[in-house]
Amino acid sequence: MIGAILIFSNRGELIVSKLYKATLKRSVADVFRVQVINNQDVRSPILTLGSTTFHSIRSTSKDRLWLVTVSRNNCNSAAIWEFLYKLNDAMTIYGINSESTLMEDFMICYELLSVMLMPGGIPMETDLTAIVSMMSSKPKKSLQSINLYSNNNNNNQYHENNKLKNINNILTSNGSDTILKANLPSPTTAIPNLLRRASSISPISTNKDFLTKKNEIILSVIEKINILVSKDGFILKSYVDGIIESDNKIHDHPICEIVLNDIESIRRYNKYYKTKDKTFEMDNTMESNKEIVLQDYKFHQCVSFEKFDEQRIIQFVTPQGQTELMKYHINNNLQIPFKVTPVVSQTFTGSMDYHITLKSLFPPKLSAKNLLLRIPVPPGTIDCKISVSNGNCNFVPEENAIIWKFNKYNGLIEDKLSALTVCSNDTTELSSQQWQRPPIALQFNILMFINTTQIDAQIVYINDFNNYYTID
Amino acid sequence: MSDQRVFSRYKASEIKSDLQHVDLKRAKVSGMRRKLALKKIIANLMLGNYTEMIQLFPEILKFWKIEDDFEVRKICHEYVRTFGSIKPRSMVEALSYIMDDLKGHDETIQLLALETLISVPLTKFTDEAFNFIISLVNRRSVSIRLLEAAIYSLLQLNDFDHERVMSLTHILYDIIEQHLESPSVQIAALKTLYSLLDNEKNVDRLSLSIDVAYNLLDNIPSLNEWDIAFVLECLVTTVVPNTYSDAYALIDTVLPQLQHVNTSVALNALKFILYLINYVDEVDVALTIRLSNSVTALLEKPSELQFLILRNIILLLLSREKPIIDVDVSYFFIEFNDPIYIKDTKLECLYLLANEINLPQILEELEQYSTDIDIQMSRKAVRAIGNLAVKLGEKAADNCIITLFHLIEFGVEYVVQEIIAVFRNILRKYPHRYEKEVITLMHYIEYVQEPEVKNAIIWIISNYSDVLDNYIELFENIVSNVKDEQLEVQFAILNASVKLYVKTSLSRIENLCQLLFNFFIEKTNNPDLRSRALMYSRLLSMAKQRPDIINQKTLKDLLNGEIPIIEINSKLDPVILEELELNIGTVTSIYLKPTVQIFKESKIKTLPKSPILHLDKNTLQITQNNSMLNDAHKEVNGNMTISSTETNNRNLSHNVTMGDYDRPAQKVNQLKSRRKSSVNLNSPIKNISRKPSMLIRKLSLKRND
Repeated sequence: MIGAILIFSNRGELIVSKLYKATLKRSVADVFRVQVINNQDVRSPILTLGSTTFHSIRSTSKDRLWLVTVSRNNCNSAAIWEFLYKLNDAMTIYGINSESTLMEDFMICYELLSVMLMPGGIPMETDLTAIVSMMSSKPKKSLQSINLYSNNNNNNQYHENNKLKNINNILTSNGSDTILKANLPSPTTAIPNLLRRASSISPISTNKDFLTKKNEIILSVIEKINILVSKDGFILKSYVDGIIESDNKIHDHPICEIVLNDIESIRRYNKYYKTKDKTFEMDNTMESNKEIVLQDYKFHQCVSFEKFDEQRIIQFVTPQGQTELMKYHINNNLQIPFKVTPVVSQTFTGSMDYHITLKSLFPPKLSAKNLLLRIPVPPGTIDCKISVSNGNCNFVPEENAIIWKFNKYNGLIEDKLSALTVCSNDTTELSSQQWQRPPIALQFNILMFINTTQIDAQIVYINDFNNYYTID
Repeated sequence: MSDQRVFSRYKASEIKSDLQHVDLKRAKVSGMRRKLALKKIIANLMLGNYTEMIQLFPEILKFWKIEDDFEVRKICHEYVRTFGSIKPRSMVEALSYIMDDLKGHDETIQLLALETLISVPLTKFTDEAFNFIISLVNRRSVSIRLLEAAIYSLLQLNDFDHERVMSLTHILYDIIEQHLESPSVQIAALKTLYSLLDNEKNVDRLSLSIDVAYNLLDNIPSLNEWDIAFVLECLVTTVVPNTYSDAYALIDTVLPQLQHVNTSVALNALKFILYLINYVDEVDVALTIRLSNSVTALLEKPSELQFLILRNIILLLLSREKPIIDVDVSYFFIEFNDPIYIKDTKLECLYLLANEINLPQILEELEQYSTDIDIQMSRKAVRAIGNLAVKLGEKAADNCIITLFHLIEFGVEYVVQEIIAVFRNILRKYPHRYEKEVITLMHYIEYVQEPEVKNAIIWIISNYSDVLDNYIELFENIVSNVKDEQLEVQFAILNASVKLYVKTSLSRIENLCQLLFNFFIEKTNNPDLRSRALMYSRLLSMAKQRPDIINQKTLKDLLNGEIPIIEINSKLDPVILEELELNIGTVTSIYLKPTVQIFKESKIKTLPKSPILHLDKNTLQITQNNSMLNDAHKEVNGNMTISSTETNNRNLSHNVTMGDYDRPAQKVNQLKSRRKSSVNLNSPIKNISRKPSMLIRKLSLKRND
């Protein structure tokens, strides 16, 4: 299927190449270098020349390596891109994230490839835990250390956050003397992009023999809110993509079951168990005013699809360590935790005038941690005059942004920022008009915020031979 | 690790000295040094330094003999593989070493050896490979991974010795049919067979019976994601349902796979279901909702995969008169950090999804994109608005025109040009509906620069001369630099001048025509242009001299008659569509082109014949209630229908605003101080406080710690 795998440095030096088809020669790498890497105009992640197709991705590490496959038939692009991302993940845990580490450890890449791909370029093993067990060397970052974050939600997870999509929040200007300005929406309301919540399903204690060790499974729910708001405050689209992650530290492999509290599960579950056992009946009165409808869901392969289809029970035997158990998509009944109202105008000198209001909409007893609002400023800005009502705010010239930080932010609080950029002498009004106006981005963690979608696990239990029981 | 760079060109002698470096006292250090030297060899091979590196072959063999270290062994094998494809003959000596490894007991080393063996195109090597594979298949209790690798090796060997590989296919058939091996080995055999037959011209595609299909699907829980993806891919066209109940049962079995997190599994499940839908007469609306939801959920993937999904959505929207999937427009609104290829594709989706109901919403979006900083993006958005006007009928066109003329007011050069170009199409679709707008358009004539836009404006002037007071001046102005125009514009000018003359019979235009004829006939190099000018000039002079043959009326009919109204046809040829639908998720689905056009070798997939095949895709009934899906689906999806229509309504009526979520803050912090420069705050000077009071406060703070 895959004819060859090539890994290039950012500048286009070929560092790893592995051929699976005798009809392909190593010189095929030069074709890719000339046609894609050195060609500024290419706008697509796939290129077909004759019958040779190149699929490429850029690695998520900071050096943006090129991971490329070459194929000669009508292969499945979905599989190829999925595979490349898996390869990227595997390289990451082996610490190959920059040009220099790749040049040092390129033999690890060869080994990874021979573990992940069968002869003939057939993807085979891509599960990280399995890969590590088949490799001759230990990964630089242990699987645990990468994945532990859901256990500890207070930590800032920048690498995680960076991957998340920013909300569409168009910086706006109120001036009307030029075309581009006038046509941009005026004050846009923006909503933060990330919310993570650990609905800490309590640890499960086990038989006395194991009491000394931690014998628990932690399920975390991480949600990403995506909202698009028009200039007049209308919500054009809003949805939440959530991930339920399980961090399994249970010995053996018990079968676990979870039932979510979406409307359908509650209904079905009650119907199913009413006749059998009263104690299992779920309380749906407390959720009666808000119905949660799962729009779509995707499961890790350890979950039994059939079981969910029949009874809406998520039944799984997780591998040890971190697993992304389930993904879901909800687009109704969202609660929005923050509101950001920017008013941005351009003065005649070419500098930008920002007035931003930040307001938290969640209940006062909760608080968000590590809140960070990133406000992009035009390139060429040398200084910002800032005044804030609270928090710590600085202009960071390297990032071309004003960063407004709060360690802790309580519910139902409103804060204001006012800032004026000072631009260098060579900035003209034109160049600031051509500025793309990237969105304002907000990052934060809220623990136990159960309002975004109100999704929650209703019932968790673990079936197995050792008689685990849950403490709730 | 080292002070020397691994990735730079070395001479063979340099590396050799490193390799032979033996320091008995510091055995570990010299071991490291040797490994580094070996790594340098591989790096040099990557740099193409073959002539130097081939000299090190004896050294490599020496290491192969004495070192047991796995890393060293890997490097030796990599060395042979690389030279195997470049200078196979020189590698013959390595064969015995490879065979030793292959016959060893360590599975990892065996895998390494097998991989090396099949990458050297020499009969000696391939013979051994074939023998090994055959013996392995016949042996009992072999490790699954090794057996799989051996089976897949046939794919790679196929490039060297096609005949021999094809003669072994019966082994593969046996493995598939006897079910003796573990499911993943069966899949390996199936996968190999499938790909082998795919490239074989004279042999039919693989075909499987319904029972085998069920068996494969039953095995799904014990397979890994890639194998599941393959099973679903391979079943398309290889298994043919003969009764409706078979088709429904297959759909039901596959349905849960739509929820798989791996894109290729989900897409292949979708492909298989769409394929089976050709063999049923009706489907439940719940199924279509489930398909749509699964597709939209995939849009959360990394951008490359998102791009693939979007391209396939285009395909699904085109494939039937009434698309089988129903997706909300808002998923296709462009986001700031979408890469350009996603933006383009989303724009196409928006265009295809547009109907009279969601038009206002889409127009609002497109109007914003039209002012995008990226010129290409903005042009495409304008063009999309124009095309929507042509596509959707008069009422919608009115709205589009309002948007376009709102955009033209800003007078951005490329936007104006694009608007003029699309406006011609709108006029061709709705003649005489927008005469007022034509007049406004003429204010922007000085923006016109590109040939296509020039053609458009010339066409508009010649067809709407009766609306324009100053058309002669406008036209003369254009004609004045006819010499410097590009060929296509010259053609347009010629046509327009004749048309104008026939329409008005003014002597001023007649003179203009005459001038143009003279110029084109005598000065131009292009034979077509010259002939056309000649033809027109003869026609006109004939009409003048012999009115009995050609009178003014026939001339008018001839040159200025009714033109058929244009339609935008975004539909693809049904045959191509059918084939593309069977290739969802593959390279061709991205390009939306038939497979033969890109991959000349491969076979065309077609829907296999069956008594229940519905050739006409539009006969499919989508029903509310169908016993095919069990109660469970109905309930879920019943709910979903409601919710999705709710969201639709919500989006359309725009009645949800940020205000709905707003709650008054309990505490409002007001700005206290004046704006301060943040650069000074950042600078170290900030820390040195000169005021004694500040100093005291700082000290006291420290004490508190």
